[in-house]
Amino acid sequence: MKKYLIYLLVLVSFVASIIFVNNNHELYDRTIVQVTDVTESDKSEVKDQNDNEDYMVTQQITARILNGADKGETMEIENQYSGSQSIHFRLKEGTEFFLANDGESVGTIKRDKYLLFVAWLFVLVLLWVGRKQGAWSVVSLAVNAVILSVALDIYIRNSDNSLLIICGISIILFTILSLIMASGWNEKTLTAIIATLIATFASLLIAYLALLVTDEQGLRYEEMSFLTRNPHLIFMGGLLIGSLGAVMDVAITMASSMFELFDKNNKIKISTLRQSGLEIGKDIMGTMTNILFFAYVSGTIPALLLYFMNAMPLGFTLSMNLSLELARALAGGIGIVITIPITLYISIFFIKRKQARQ
Amino acid sequence: MNALVLLAAILFILMAVVGGKKGIKSFIAILINFVVVIGTVLMMNDPNANPIVLTLVACGIISAVSLFYINEINSKTKMAFLATILTTLALLFFIFIITEKSMIQGFSEEESDSLVTFSVYIGIDFIKVATSVIIMSTIGAIVDAAISITSPMQEIREQNPDISRKDLFMSGMRIGRDILGTSSNTLFFAFFGGYMGLIIWFKDLSYSMGEIVNSKVFSGEMITILTAGMGVALVIPIAASVTAYYLVRGTE
Repeated sequence: MKKYLIYLLVLVSFVASIIFVNNNHELYDRTIVQVTDVTESDKSEVKDQNDNEDYMVTQQITARILNGADKGETMEIENQYSGSQSIHFRLKEGTEFFLANDGESVGTIKRDKYLLFVAWLFVLVLLWVGRKQGAWSVVSLAVNAVILSVALDIYIRNSDNSLLIICGISIILFTILSLIMASGWNEKTLTAIIATLIATFASLLIAYLALLVTDEQGLRYEEMSFLTRNPHLIFMGGLLIGSLGAVMDVAITMASSMFELFDKNNKIKISTLRQSGLEIGKDIMGTMTNILFFAYVSGTIPALLLYFMNAMPLGFTLSMNLSLELARALAGGIGIVITIPITLYISIFFIKRKQARQ
Repeated sequence: MNALVLLAAILFILMAVVGGKKGIKSFIAILINFVVVIGTVLMMNDPNANPIVLTLVACGIISAVSLFYINEINSKTKMAFLATILTTLALLFFIFIITEKSMIQGFSEEESDSLVTFSVYIGIDFIKVATSVIIMSTIGAIVDAAISITSPMQEIREQNPDISRKDLFMSGMRIGRDILGTSSNTLFFAFFGGYMGLIIWFKDLSYSMGEIVNSKVFSGEMITILTAGMGVALVIPIAASVTAYYLVRGTE
């Protein structure tokens, strides 16, 4: 009975929030319109200075205003898009978008409804596959997002130098909360928490020293040029948080297996335990490092394409777009690998204590 | 000395010391995967090539390298490979549709300021490129989840030869649930860390909530994170059923 009540609750909030986000136009100050009719004309070939061929299309749009004083009225505007749609949009019937400040051109697409839909789909998939653990993962991710947002608000109100301290404190909070939510409060979780904190700060120290020794040669911060703040500090902060998830993952996986081995056989020899732990660590280090690598590097693909198509040299393109991402991935990888022996020895420390008590 | 070279050297030494031969193999696998990604991007430069097809082939190679090269070819890596490809295919259609609808492809207004000197009329379909980006960013996590499920499932089958297909599937699902939280955490923190600069920037400019959620750069990022999370979740039942079906063959 209670189970069905929860299903019902989830279903009702899903439907209600989707209906809400599809009808929230009055909450926005900017004018939102919906395309009711599109005619296309003027398809013209364009060739840029690098002989790339593309085409431009002009669209005559009839749109209905969805909010504000002129709600319900229709208007005509013109929109241009290129075949690649790298910056412009091809509008279709039904698309809703914000008018730009001039009142005559396309500002940005109304994306909140898609974002909410995908978020719900994510939650539903996690609940369907993960049941109770899935629910905890969703809660833990939401809590972490809130902590991060609050931490950054505090940073913005303070000086630049506060970022590392704020990141440090957030990391302690993230680690304790996420790991307890993932596997409850017990010795195994405690081991993972201690190991995560030591490994994260150790990997930060290694990355920091490596950057110091090399004078950050090869790192191009131009990519972060939009920031009005110190990009080096923000980069280090991001690096710390970025590798945290992976370090926690390795720590809890290692700790779980070590305690599992001990539970199966309370008299297990420490040397056997060390050997098995090391085997598990070897199995996970490659794929874990890969996760970080792909999460970071793939985001640069559109920029890489743009550089290449604009006839930029290979080396310049790679260093401009990939240097920070690669540094993050490598530093994260270092974090993952050192987590393995750290978790191994902390687990052994706790297991030895347990054995001594028996 | 170049900072990246030093970081790579430190990573290599650590992997070799902690992981021995397997550690060195893992490091080489990362190098190969890097070359595969760059090679794929170079091939996408041809406007006649389909970025989605290229990405699928790349994902095949990447998972083969991560699974077969590091862990050898055996039934658990084969099952993990199959599960990875099936999950990628299933996600592909969804990602393409949602990208097209929400128009998160290409470059945002925020980024385009720094791109003024570039020609953006380059004839490549950026909706397909955006789909490829999302698939690529999650492939590492999908492969990791897949092998984490198939490997203990085979262990369980060996220890209990009489296990029924359904029971084996349920064991796979239980293992999957345990890793679901930590794997999605890994991805989320990686993205949080990578886009911290962006979030700080939004806050500095005091973007309103409405402006943030509708902006191309933020919603694109969130859709990527959430779909990547879905990939990690979906590979669990897929890997569990593929492995249960394959291992308990002929006995039923």
